[in-house]
Amino acid sequence: MAGTTHALNAVADGLRLPLEFGNSSRDPLVAVPNTVEASPELKAVFDEIRTFYAMDRVPAVFRWMARDAIFLQGYWSAVRAAFTAASLDRLTKEVLALAASMTAKSDYGVDLHLREARRLGLTDQGLTEAVEVVQLFNTVTKIADALQLQPDFNPRSEP
Amino acid sequence: MEIVRIPEARELAPEDQPFLEATKGWFKIDFVPKMSRVLLSHPEFGRPYGRASRRAMSDGALSRAQKEMIAATVSAINVCEY
Repeated sequence: MAGTTHALNAVADGLRLPLEFGNSSRDPLVAVPNTVEASPELKAVFDEIRTFYAMDRVPAVFRWMARDAIFLQGYWSAVRAAFTAASLDRLTKEVLALAASMTAKSDYGVDLHLREARRLGLTDQGLTEAVEVVQLFNTVTKIADALQLQPDFNPRSEP
Repeated sequence: MEIVRIPEARELAPEDQPFLEATKGWFKIDFVPKMSRVLLSHPEFGRPYGRASRRAMSDGALSRAQKEMIAATVSAINVCEY
């Protein structure tokens, strides 16, 4: 989940794609295709994306990937698998994606995942708590790195 | 290796010992993590920061487990081994 989020953000922010929900003055570095002329195969993927996010349009990052159908299909399949409810529910996954996006300073990711987390039920209090933990651990990780703290636990051992 | 000496818990101020003990209980471990010891070696920073941390990680609108996963995600994105 953190990996696919980071990758999606890298594409969207790297290409300066406009934000999907917030005000955005970003000028994309590439032409972003519309969905009208998509092949039937791509249309099916686009429909799935719109349904997954409950949006009436396809986010620009996926439309840009649709320049290469195999690229889009492969990446979308991975995103769908990562974000579908399993051991973790979908809201928790969106909150984690929001935390990953904030930490990586991704405007596109924060915009997309904040909207999605709210749509799935994140309250203002829940958002405040999530941001508090993001703040806390962005502090802690920097202190740990600066002091070169070695782990307290062996990450390969069972708890 | 660490670039500062990490004090043992017993070297820290007597008034911080209850918090240090509580930290072991919080994590269900039999030692005090290095981060807690380092922070409390500067009590004027470590005390309020420790209290804020405990509050931030407690169950609320989000569960403690969800908050720990957020912490792990931030650590992963920041590539922080600790």
